[in-house]
Amino acid sequence: MSIAGLGPHGERASPPQRVALAPADIDAARKKGFRVAIVMHTLESDFARQQLQGLAGTLGDCGTAVIEVVDCGFSPEAQIAALDRVLHEAPDAVISLPVANAAVAAAHARLSAAGISLVLLDNVPTGLLPGKDYVALVSADNSGLGRIAAELLAPHLSKGAEIGVLGYDADFFATNERELAFGRWMRRERPDVTLRTARFGSIRVAGETALSLWTAHPSLAGLFVVWDTPGREALSALARHGWSGPVATIDLGRDVAASLARGGPVVAVAAQQPHYQGVIAAQTAILAMLGQLTPDWVALPGVPVTRANVAESFQTVWRRPAPPEVLTALLPSRREKK
Amino acid sequence: MQALDREDEGTRSRGRGRPRGSETASGSVIEILNLVRTGQATTRQEIERVGEFGRAIVADRLALLTELGLVDESELGAATGGRAPRLVRFAADRGRVLVATLDQTALGVGIADLSGRLLMEHHEPVDLTEPAAAILDRVTSLFDWILSRQSGPGAAPWAVSLSVPAPVAEAGGTFLTETPPILPGWEGTFFVETLVRRYGAPVWMRSSVETMTMGELHGGAGIGCTAMLFVKVGKRIGAGLVCDGRLWRGAMGAAGLIGQLPVQTGERTGTLDALAGSEMIAREGQAAAEEGRSTLLADLHRRHGALSAAEVSQAAQMGDRTAMEILSQSGRLIGHVVATLANALNPEIIVLSGSVAQSNDILLAAVREAVYGASHPLVTRDLRIVRSQMSSSAGLVGAAMVAVEGLFAPPMLKDWVLQGRPMAHPGFAALRDRLEDPPPAPAKPAAPRNDRT
Repeated sequence: MSIAGLGPHGERASPPQRVALAPADIDAARKKGFRVAIVMHTLESDFARQQLQGLAGTLGDCGTAVIEVVDCGFSPEAQIAALDRVLHEAPDAVISLPVANAAVAAAHARLSAAGISLVLLDNVPTGLLPGKDYVALVSADNSGLGRIAAELLAPHLSKGAEIGVLGYDADFFATNERELAFGRWMRRERPDVTLRTARFGSIRVAGETALSLWTAHPSLAGLFVVWDTPGREALSALARHGWSGPVATIDLGRDVAASLARGGPVVAVAAQQPHYQGVIAAQTAILAMLGQLTPDWVALPGVPVTRANVAESFQTVWRRPAPPEVLTALLPSRREKK
Repeated sequence: MQALDREDEGTRSRGRGRPRGSETASGSVIEILNLVRTGQATTRQEIERVGEFGRAIVADRLALLTELGLVDESELGAATGGRAPRLVRFAADRGRVLVATLDQTALGVGIADLSGRLLMEHHEPVDLTEPAAAILDRVTSLFDWILSRQSGPGAAPWAVSLSVPAPVAEAGGTFLTETPPILPGWEGTFFVETLVRRYGAPVWMRSSVETMTMGELHGGAGIGCTAMLFVKVGKRIGAGLVCDGRLWRGAMGAAGLIGQLPVQTGERTGTLDALAGSEMIAREGQAAAEEGRSTLLADLHRRHGALSAAEVSQAAQMGDRTAMEILSQSGRLIGHVVATLANALNPEIIVLSGSVAQSNDILLAAVREAVYGASHPLVTRDLRIVRSQMSSSAGLVGAAMVAVEGLFAPPMLKDWVLQGRPMAHPGFAALRDRLEDPPPAPAKPAAPRNDRT
């Protein structure tokens, strides 16, 4: 699948194959015995845990020690403190997912200035430049994810429908791209659909934000949420107050997969591949530490998921079988197929 | 934009109805503001020394500029023996600059503060052969989206600046009052008029090579350089020239159109664009794939149905010999032309940009080899030849700098500084009044031009 979007500075995407490790690279890395710190936005989500597994496993294969894993709890202050602490440990590389924009830019730039190879996941604070302030960005094709969500939701929307878009009220590359791409596809392909946008500042308030949006626009007939965890909060709040309608979101969390398997309310998911993303970020870091040129932006395509392919997509994304609640909910339709 | 209109009315009436004593001395106000804005002076003492002004004049003008919200003296600097001096800072957060770059295949938008610092940016693919009205509609949608993400008193746009893929011939030095000819087929689409009406702010426009050069000069590899050569390698190949720290535009804004120069490789003769640009790279890559000269290119071609220059470039970086030779040939041709310019300009740095140049080292190496081989030793003694690290952000930063330099250029500044906002500039107020009338009927298409950069 081709990459739909452009990078944070307008870069063309490089495919993951571009950072494949040759046996000689792995041998060289093992001889060097590199040390790497990982600074994550959270460790509470399936997504983050899978990404970490991909990172740690691949780095381990290359004889590279993960000396610290930090959970920033989505807090810019916690991330700045963590980066400054990690700086003093002088690792060879830091792999970080910046939780904010301008607030954490300087703290990330200090790592590169100190000669530490910085690989970013999912987000680049405005003003940081590849090659100067960081080695590379590794992310999903977030624009493609937004487009997939729109394409898969559209058949569930009647002509002239009014739908809600729940965006993230932070200047964050990944969620900005998803929101813009979703809107762009709808504007071009379904100009009859009216989009009503609201943005939540944190996952905790996503439910309230969704309710406010519904109160302001009572005829909402569908919803797109820029990732699944706030989507779960929004759906829960809306359902408590009697709203129902088709929902599309990003990332194939366990609850979302179960909802897809049951036939709704989640009807469409554009999934990232967190484990694979972790593997690719680790490979990028290894190449950078070996002094090889790495692409500015490595992008991984999204996986379109509906009820029809939720079980196998779950395996692709999470590298394990779908949970029992998904398989049980799919049983009737599987029997019908036979 | 109604609130903006009301504020404009207020500042306009204040400007007309309440003349200040300082109005007779707007020259010193302008000079002091620009000393502070450009960082040449950061304390009252420095303003007195650098600007050769008396203490009373400096105190009076700073009081006025503070009242207008253009400078801020609330912070203390480091003490050097006595009392810590008050820092005089330019209020870069007072307004915003909306910026957009339109390229052959990409659209970028962003918002910057009044120092030209980008606060937010977004890039997406675009097909420039789409109707111009659709492209303008997308630009305004994205500007609206960016403005919806801004908050605070300084979030209103003070200027809009566009980077377009063609030279912009411009008679005056201030903002545009109508849409200049840009590309064939775009006639009758009122970019400037639409943006002025929608955002109530003056509009600037420059070619993409010019804005990228400005961006590289102010935010990239060219910071602090007085002589720089910027080369953008894409479908078209263009150069940006910086002399004495300033962009050299030429008589018609057409300086640096090196893609039109004739070059020769083997038996073939043609323009640099045709024999070294990204279309040639894609075409040669495709031929190599079809003729079985490269397994990697053939595989990419089979999977995607076609090959882009970026893919050939990536294949070269991955070690594909055929792709490397295609890139080397392009680099040698570009290098010979760039060497001629380098011998004429004697730059401190040559910056290569564009997706092909930025995604691999082969083109860079070939350009270096050609320039070093064809230049006077003095020209290359301290010369650095580097890849841009800014990608398309260079165009956004440069577009912001074009607008900022335009807003604060003394001939423009003198007509609005005492009102505190450029929207109160009498020429701009007159333009807005004129545009309140219904838009003019679309003009007949003019003859096509072949001068895209």
